[in-house]
Amino acid sequence: MKKKILLLSLLIIILISSVLVFSNKNIRNNNYKNGELNVLNWTSYIPDDVISDFEKEFNIKVNYGTYSSNEELLAKLSSSVEGTYDLVFPSDYMVDLLVQRGLLSPLNRGKLTNAENISPLFLNQIYDNKNAYSLPFLLAYSVLVYDNSKINENLRSYRDLLNEKYKNNIILIDDQRIIIGAALLASGADMNSTNDSDLKSALDFFNGLKPNIKAFDSDSPKTFLITKEAEIGLIWNAEATLAQLENENLKIVFPTEGFALSMDNYCLAKGAKNSENAYKFIDFLLRDDIAARIVEEYPYVSPNKKLVENNKAELEKVLENGSYVKNVGAEIKKLDRLWAEFK
Amino acid sequence: MRKKPKLSLFRFLMTFPAILYCLGLILLPILYIFFLSFLTSDSYGGFTYDFTLNNYAEIFDPTYILMFLKSSGIALVVTFLALLISYPFAIFLMDKSEKSQNLLIKLVMIPFLTNSLIRTYGWIILLRKNGLINSALLSTGLISVPLSLMYNTFGIIIGMTYTLLPFMILPVYSAVSKVDKNLVAAAKDLGASKWKVFKEVYLPLTLSGAFNGSLMVFIPAIGYFFIADILGGGKVMIIGNLIKNQFLTARNWPFGAALSVFLLLLTFLLLKVYKKIGGRLDELGGGA
Repeated sequence: MKKKILLLSLLIIILISSVLVFSNKNIRNNNYKNGELNVLNWTSYIPDDVISDFEKEFNIKVNYGTYSSNEELLAKLSSSVEGTYDLVFPSDYMVDLLVQRGLLSPLNRGKLTNAENISPLFLNQIYDNKNAYSLPFLLAYSVLVYDNSKINENLRSYRDLLNEKYKNNIILIDDQRIIIGAALLASGADMNSTNDSDLKSALDFFNGLKPNIKAFDSDSPKTFLITKEAEIGLIWNAEATLAQLENENLKIVFPTEGFALSMDNYCLAKGAKNSENAYKFIDFLLRDDIAARIVEEYPYVSPNKKLVENNKAELEKVLENGSYVKNVGAEIKKLDRLWAEFK
Repeated sequence: MRKKPKLSLFRFLMTFPAILYCLGLILLPILYIFFLSFLTSDSYGGFTYDFTLNNYAEIFDPTYILMFLKSSGIALVVTFLALLISYPFAIFLMDKSEKSQNLLIKLVMIPFLTNSLIRTYGWIILLRKNGLINSALLSTGLISVPLSLMYNTFGIIIGMTYTLLPFMILPVYSAVSKVDKNLVAAAKDLGASKWKVFKEVYLPLTLSGAFNGSLMVFIPAIGYFFIADILGGGKVMIIGNLIKNQFLTARNWPFGAALSVFLLLLTFLLLKVYKKIGGRLDELGGGA
C-alpha cells in the first residue's frame, strides 16, 4: 500500500513538473513578440551584450549555440533535422563544402540594408565567388609572434623557427590544416598541396621543428606568451593582439613564405524556419557601431568599410599574401596520416 | 517454486529507466558505430553505403600501429605507477581503525566529485615552467633551470596516474582488506621482513584485485585524449586523440568507428584474460 502511494505521488510530481516546464516555455516565448532565431556560431565571437541588445530592440529570442571547429558545425548541421538552425557561421572552405552537401540556402542580399557596409575588398572570394550563399563576418589570419626582449634575432620566415636556440619555446595552434600548411609553405610548396613529395618535405620540416615545439593549443595560445611559458608563437592574429596588450615586448610579423587566411561568414541553413529573423540579425551585426563593438572585444578583422579604412593598405597586403585553406576532398586522409606521423 | 514477485508493475516502472538508458544510450550507439565502421567515407563528412573492410585494414598502417604501441606503453606505465602507490596505501590502511580507514578512503573519493577536466587544469598551475613546483625548487636553489614537468610524456603520465588512481586504490584496498590478518601476523612472527610479507602473503592473495584495478586504469588511459591535450601540450597523440580527430578534423567517421571497434575488441580481450586469470586466482585464494 505504502509503495502504491509512493508510486502515485511520483507520477503526480512528474505530471506537475512537466506541465510547469511547458507552460513556462509559453510564458517565455510570449515575451518575445517576434518569435525566435536559432544561431550556431563559434565560441567567443559575438559579445553577449550585443546579442541581448538585439533581443531587446527586435523582440526576438536568440537561441545561441556554439561550436569550436568547422567539422563540429558540419556534424551538427548534417545530423539534425532541417530547420533546427537558422543562421550559421562557417569558414571559407566549409562554406564550399556545405553548399556541395546542400546544407545551405542562398542568401538574398537585397534583404540586407546594411550590406553596403561591407568593404568590396572582402567580397567575391574563391570559396563563394559571387557571394551567393555567404557574406563575410570576420577575418582571421595566422601570424608569427615573438618576445622581442628574449629573442634577439629578427624572425621573418618559418625556416627561422628551426634555430636550435629555440628549444621547447614555440607554441602552435592545434589545427592540422594550418600547421601542415605552414610546413608546406616553409618547404616552398602551396599551402593546400597534397602532392606526396611536398608532404615529404613538410614532414622533414616538422621533424626539424619538433624539438622546438613547446605545445599545440587552440583554446588560448596567448596564455603561453603572456605567462612567458613560450617566447615564440604561430597563432591567429586576434590571439596575438590580445597577448600584446598584456606583454608589450611581443612583436607580430607576417611570415615571408605566406600565411593562412580564415574568413567566417554569415550563412542561412537549409530549411531555416526563421529566415526573416536571421536577416534582421545579420543586418544588425552589419551596422557600423555593432561591427566596431565586436572587434573591440575580439580583435579579428571586420570587413566593415569604415573599420577597414583605418588600415586599408595593410589589409590589402594581408588578403593578397595569405591563402585560404581549401577543401582537399579524399586527400585529407594523407594529411591526417602525416599529422599522426608527425606527432 | 519461485514465488512470483509482488508489485511487478512497480518493479518494472522502477527499472524501466535504467533499461531504457542502457539500450538507448549504450547499446544502440555501439551498434551504430559497429555498422558505421564498415561503410565508406565520402570525405565530405558523410559516408556511402558501400561495404568495405578497408577501414580495418587502414588500422594496420605502421604509423597507427606505432601509435597503438606508444599509447599502450604510456597506459602501462600509468598502471604500474598506480599499483606502486595503491599497495602501500592499502596495506598502510590495514593498521588503522575502521573509522579512520573509512575517512581516508573517503578522502580518496572526494576529488572525484570535481570534473576531471578541471582537476587536470589545476595541474598546469603546479607543473608549468613558472608554476609552483618550479618556483619553489628554484628559490631553494636545488635547480638553476626550470624543469620540464609538462607539455611532454611525463606530464601526461602524471595527469593520468592522478586521475585514475582511485580506480586502482579501491579494488586493491578491497582485496587487501580481505586478507586474513592471522596470516600476516604469522608471517611477521616467523621473522619475515615487510617486503617479504608483501611478496609472500599480500601479493599472491590480492592478484585478482590488482588485475581488476589494472584493467580499470589501463583501458581509460588509452583513451583519455583530453589529458594528452592539456598536459602533453597536444604533442603526443594517443589512440583517443586519433579517434577524436577522425570525427572532428579528418571527417572520416567510418575510420574513427573502426578504430573504436578495434579498441573495444582489445578491451574485451583483456576482460577475457582477466576472467581466465581471475577464476584461477580465486581457486588459489580459496585453497589457501
